[in-house]
Amino acid sequence: MLRPRSLACRARHAPCVLAWQRLALVIVNSDVILVIVVCTALAFDFTNGFHDTANVVATSISTGAAPPQVAIAMASVLNFIGAFISIEVAATVANDVVDAAVITPTIVFAGLIGAIAWNLITWWFGLPSSSSHALIGGVVGSAVAAAGIDAVLAEGLVGKVLIPAVVAPLVAFGVAGIGIGIIYRVVGRQRPGPVTRGFRYGQVVSGGLLALAHGTNDAQKTMGVITLALIANGTLGAGADPPLWVIASAAAAIALGTYSGGWRIIKTTGSRIIKMDAAQGFSAQGAGSAVILASTHFGFPLSTTHVINGGVMGAGAGKRISAVRWGVAGNIVVAWLLTLPAAAAIGAAVYGLTRAFGTGALGPVVVSVLAIGLIVGLFARRSQQGAPVPAS
Amino acid sequence: MATLVQTGDLVKTVIASVVAGVGVTAVFSMAIWGGARFVDLSREGRPLAAGAAAALGGLALLATLAAVGVGIAVMMSK
Repeated sequence: MLRPRSLACRARHAPCVLAWQRLALVIVNSDVILVIVVCTALAFDFTNGFHDTANVVATSISTGAAPPQVAIAMASVLNFIGAFISIEVAATVANDVVDAAVITPTIVFAGLIGAIAWNLITWWFGLPSSSSHALIGGVVGSAVAAAGIDAVLAEGLVGKVLIPAVVAPLVAFGVAGIGIGIIYRVVGRQRPGPVTRGFRYGQVVSGGLLALAHGTNDAQKTMGVITLALIANGTLGAGADPPLWVIASAAAAIALGTYSGGWRIIKTTGSRIIKMDAAQGFSAQGAGSAVILASTHFGFPLSTTHVINGGVMGAGAGKRISAVRWGVAGNIVVAWLLTLPAAAAIGAAVYGLTRAFGTGALGPVVVSVLAIGLIVGLFARRSQQGAPVPAS
Repeated sequence: MATLVQTGDLVKTVIASVVAGVGVTAVFSMAIWGGARFVDLSREGRPLAAGAAAALGGLALLATLAAVGVGIAVMMSK
């Protein structure tokens, strides 16, 4: 922390002292906001793991390929490892979605709160929406509220987020559908016992691969947001890669979130969309892994939730169109469509609320306290209500 | 619009996804087929055919693992 050089300076040069105090205040404020942003981003990462990764393990649990605790523990470890594999998506989030030159840590903070709020809303109602798109929507909404529409980099938002968001689940749907068709052609005449056992073993690998893919893509979004805040704060230069401490902390946060579970979402994805056999689970997970890993390689920030649900529906439709519970699938699609605009609206509102307390650290501090209080209240109420929603 | 959509990377992503997803599923199905046939043929007392099925299944399993390994290596290479 910067301090006046000496008491003598303070006594003899009052204007000098005032200038130093102002500078110190700005720096302290800026650092406080940055610390709040980093903590909020890691909290978001935790909720991302809590909310999203359940989708990764849902198919393995649904088909009996792995006991829930084992599947979740394995997914947690592989999420952690996956976060270290690539930084392409982090680079996209940090540099290609909003103009880093006009972004401040407060904007990033408001976007994160918007994303967390939307995650909690969808968690409350048991809908597997996209944490990733909530994050991007939140940051875009707060950036627009703060600096106008010019703060958004349309090329990056459309080309690297919106179009892949539509294409990826459709590709997963198609790949899983073709995959299950091939499986039934190849092993359809074999005895079901060994075939089911074989695909359950296969699901251990495909589920693990999906968890690894999730770590590579989803943890990187948090890395990207923290990097964006560090660039906005002047701690890193424009276009910088995430430092190792950012990668490691994001990996740890998503892994912890994963381990903490998310039973409501498991129920929705694993049972309510489609009743699956092990072959369908393998096909869905294989399709999801392939799509997410390929997209990550090219820096597309996808949603694991979108992709795995696309794969699950494709595996169901490949066997029998009526096997998919299209009503539940329709609800999920609606949640997908709402995610970006809803998170953006909440992000913009949170930015307005934060700025109502001025440009310093007071706004983020107050909003953080309010958010923590709300989250604790929600969890307390949920724990009083008890068990997760039963699968229909 | 072509720039906005980044057609090249998107097409590569789609192709890689289809090849990897369908390919690995097909090859792993062959591994399962080989394993299942090995059990059945062994019970029927046809060791030669059972061995061939096991060999095919084993090769397919190795190919599956190799494909997964190559996929991860490609991810880490960028």
